[in-house]
Amino acid sequence: MMATDAPLLRGVALSKTYGAFAALNDADFSVRAGEVRALIGSNGAGKSTLIKILTGAIAPTSGSVEIGGQPAPLGDPLGMIRRGVACIYQHSNLAPAMSVLDNIYLGRQPTRRFGFVDTRRQRKEATALLDRHGIAIDLDSPAGSLPTVKQKEVEILKALALDARLILMDEPTGWLASADVARLHDTIRALKSRGVGIVYISHVLDEIFAVCDTVTIMRDGKVVAESAVPDIDRARVVHLMVGEKLARDASDAALQKRHPRGTGEVRLSARALTKRGVFSDISFDLHAGEIFCLTGLIGAKRTELVRTVFGSDRFDSGSLEIDGKPTAPRSPVAGIGRGIGFVPEDRHHEGLMLDMTVTENLAMATLDRFRRGPVLDRGHMVRAGRRAIEELSVRPPDGNKVVRRLSGGNQQKVLVGKWLARRPRILILDEPTVGVDVGAKAEIYAILRRERELGAAILVVSSDLEEVMTVADRIGVMVSGRLVAVHDAGAVSMADIVHAMGGGTA
Amino acid sequence: MSGFSFMAILAMGQAFPILVRGIDLSIGATVGLVGMVVFDLSLIFGMPGYGIIPLALVAGTLAGALNGVLIVYLRLQPFIATLATLAAFRGLTYTISGRQLVPGLSTTPIRDPWITGIETYFDVGGWLGLSRLVNMPWVPLSFFIMLAVFAVLQILLLATRFGRDTFATGGNHEAARLAGIQVKAVTIAAYAISGFCAAIAALIMVARFTTATEALGTGMELTAIAAAVIGGVSLAGGIGSMFGPALGAFLLGAILIGLTLQGVPQFVQQIITGLILLAAVGYDRLLLVRRQRRLAMAAAV
Amino acid sequence: MAAAAVSAALARHAAPNALSIAMAVIIVAITLLEPAFMSADNLVGIVRQVAIIGIMATCMTFVIMTGGIDLSVGPVLALAGLVSFYCLQADFPLVVVIAAGLSVGFIVGLMNGLTIAFLGLPPIIVTLAMLSIVRGTALIVGGPEQHLIRNEPAYSFIGTGNLLGLPFAVYIFAAIAVLMILVQRHTPLGLLVAAIGNNERAAWLSGHRVRLTKTAVYAISGTGAALAGIILSSQVHTALATYGPFGTELDVIAAVVLGGTSIMGGNGSVARTLLGVFFLGILNNGMNILNVPIDIQLIAKGAIIVVALAVAARRG
Repeated sequence: MMATDAPLLRGVALSKTYGAFAALNDADFSVRAGEVRALIGSNGAGKSTLIKILTGAIAPTSGSVEIGGQPAPLGDPLGMIRRGVACIYQHSNLAPAMSVLDNIYLGRQPTRRFGFVDTRRQRKEATALLDRHGIAIDLDSPAGSLPTVKQKEVEILKALALDARLILMDEPTGWLASADVARLHDTIRALKSRGVGIVYISHVLDEIFAVCDTVTIMRDGKVVAESAVPDIDRARVVHLMVGEKLARDASDAALQKRHPRGTGEVRLSARALTKRGVFSDISFDLHAGEIFCLTGLIGAKRTELVRTVFGSDRFDSGSLEIDGKPTAPRSPVAGIGRGIGFVPEDRHHEGLMLDMTVTENLAMATLDRFRRGPVLDRGHMVRAGRRAIEELSVRPPDGNKVVRRLSGGNQQKVLVGKWLARRPRILILDEPTVGVDVGAKAEIYAILRRERELGAAILVVSSDLEEVMTVADRIGVMVSGRLVAVHDAGAVSMADIVHAMGGGTA
Repeated sequence: MSGFSFMAILAMGQAFPILVRGIDLSIGATVGLVGMVVFDLSLIFGMPGYGIIPLALVAGTLAGALNGVLIVYLRLQPFIATLATLAAFRGLTYTISGRQLVPGLSTTPIRDPWITGIETYFDVGGWLGLSRLVNMPWVPLSFFIMLAVFAVLQILLLATRFGRDTFATGGNHEAARLAGIQVKAVTIAAYAISGFCAAIAALIMVARFTTATEALGTGMELTAIAAAVIGGVSLAGGIGSMFGPALGAFLLGAILIGLTLQGVPQFVQQIITGLILLAAVGYDRLLLVRRQRRLAMAAAV
Repeated sequence: MAAAAVSAALARHAAPNALSIAMAVIIVAITLLEPAFMSADNLVGIVRQVAIIGIMATCMTFVIMTGGIDLSVGPVLALAGLVSFYCLQADFPLVVVIAAGLSVGFIVGLMNGLTIAFLGLPPIIVTLAMLSIVRGTALIVGGPEQHLIRNEPAYSFIGTGNLLGLPFAVYIFAAIAVLMILVQRHTPLGLLVAAIGNNERAAWLSGHRVRLTKTAVYAISGTGAALAGIILSSQVHTALATYGPFGTELDVIAAVVLGGTSIMGGNGSVARTLLGVFFLGILNNGMNILNVPIDIQLIAKGAIIVVALAVAARRG
């Protein structure tokens, strides 16, 4: 069956605001039967929010959704499932102690009378499903005992078992090896021929050109472009994703002087770092006065790597030297003691005390300085906070404001500022601009450059290629737990990096 | 063996709130409340036992469901909600206490055959002809009630959609919600089952003592939670079965009876109960850590 | 729509002050029904009555702010009284007696804290187990009988003495309350406790010694319970292993939580705990003055906790 004109699903004027922050702003979106629509945009562009609205996980602040021409209930997961919407989530969404079989049929096991589960039918259907899609998996092992890749397959099976009319795939290939990706794409083509509509989110542009019919590009919570895939090229897609200003900034940045290897002084040196089952044989040097970006796909284990450097996780073998002295931080306290600052990826769960004030958050890494005997010198703390707020231009400039009430960008500035207060010799930032608006992004980049000029060694983990191309002096690419390439930023093109991220050799 | 049938029933009931990652501190108070309902209906209203039993079960179930409603709709923490109802149920027990409304009844035993019948003993060993070989104690009806509760709940948990939904809700609340499971209804049902089991336990205790006091069941939640956790019901939710809590209750019972026979005083037994509880959660934690380590290993392959 | 608007307005304006408003309403109502409520004697009586629960609640506030709970305070109170009694019998000087009593609570709290912080076990279960263990220990130490504390004027002064027209216990309560408020507002520990409750992982990643802090808050809670036990045994001239019966911890936790400290940790304040303590104290006193039977008091307490927390949940 070919794609028909009547949309299978249509979202009209969808908006979602969290406090002052608009995660999604008046977005229109539609998918036809038998269409594979790519949904792309930088992190924080509003893709996930849109997906959550379509699965019923959250209700939009305003706007409506129609399925098959009928209005669909909002914020009601069961209602969406009944209307044939399934989703393969980016993060694992399984009940870990339950069997694979039960997870595939979570919430809708076939039953006989009195609510007894018809296990025989369940198993028969599941086996048929496995055969049809050529997936081998033990139906009886607990889902939580499977390796991540297999868990992803369970997620995919869960969506397929629904016999859905529309399947949302949120970075479905993040954890998959390339052979598995090809198989997933075959599955997508088979589903498409049966008239299933598919929404495909991915950062890997190759996949989009390989399997998608149409593309919707989002930026800062808005839909900025829609097009048929054959009518658009890579450069145009990237340009639309990052926007005029950032694209200009990026080209400006390209003209800026890069500082590969900074002052030449090696501040951090990793040799053959290995954490079994996570990453292996990672070696690199980080110099004072440079920004080294680690990029790669989700699941490339970059976060895991920098955590072991900081000391919040441990590595199994290899060696780490700071300022030429061998070291192995075994806790954040130890890492900080050796002059490392660490801005984690998830600012809500790992970074900030959301219900505490800006001043308190800014003081969190430097509490010792405000200690007068057993007493906390609040006046000193407030003055230091005021200076930091001014330097970072936190908006509104109010130290008594609870951090939860700030926009994402200002929250991130507070988080970065907390570490800058220590003047760290090595600053590690994990996805420093996720969910941050364009303006704040530019400000954070400026802060990083300033710290670099002051002689800090900066290690940035980022999936956002524009970001990498904008701020990096050198770029490292990780694939499945290995550091496969390191380039000077001035001497490499974005296409080369994308190629390396997908597992090719640059 | 007989003394711990009611504790096994309480522990099996308690397993349900723990399975959905909650806790029910109010079961001791529910036992007291239901016990007093039975006392009133029998002695003040002179209702026959076959009428009292279903009413008592309904009362316990409603008390449990109220906990669930407070947790789901008022978004209270299970700990706080059931702590508050613990106070409220105990207060209600005093309010409806027939001992105070009609002081003359406080020494009158309950003689209704339906109620006291629960305390009947059967010479199972004699029927099976085993008593000629070994000296078998007589088995009380409460033991068979416990077996019936075990069978029903185990089937409910392992063979029905509700059971699957319970595991899913406790194992991954958000995944369950997104899969369209009515997590609110499942949660309320879990607490209702806990209340239902408390009602059965109350009937067994009233039958044994042939009366009810306002303080009936005080502190039993501790032992029931201990038995459930010792029986492998994970406080992290989503892991467990009925077999563990039942076994846990009897294990705890056997140890304590054993200690009593050895002449160990009651006070020391309290200390030992606490230590067993600590050991049980410690073991639960150890299993969790091991599971995570195994996962990391599996990922390495 | 109107209902939604009203409820939103309620959540914004009334919820943060719900407790103060309810307290004012109750005070006015009780005074109208029974003017004797407002007499100086009765008001002093209220402070004296709440001193014991109040000390335990102010000292447990930090535990709850870190997202934990301490169910073991009841038997700690009993055991501290017994240990002080035996020290008195041995004719130790008063300082030693009090130090010994307090150290009981400190040690139990330390064991709670170490088990919870370093083994990662759930606070509910650990302190529930400790409740059982300490009660058993108290019964072994003291047996089931009452131990009268006679002819110990210095010790008795703690609970029954008067200073400038106010009971001495009230001064102790005030001192502890002021101390804990100062610790919360003006020491790094206070800030750290809030930080751990708000986001334990972020606090750890910021280089704070989270486990030690958590251990310390349980030690503080235990010591507070022991102090309460000393005051109680002095007040009633008796040490008994079954003091602080099951339900004592409920009253303490209720006061803390009513004060607006979230049971999930993070937000909270010692000053507001005092508000919760006095709210429950006034409620109890008022209901006693008005001859409300004990059963209704229990039900009312349960219902008020549920209502207060449900209103607070609306705010979040």
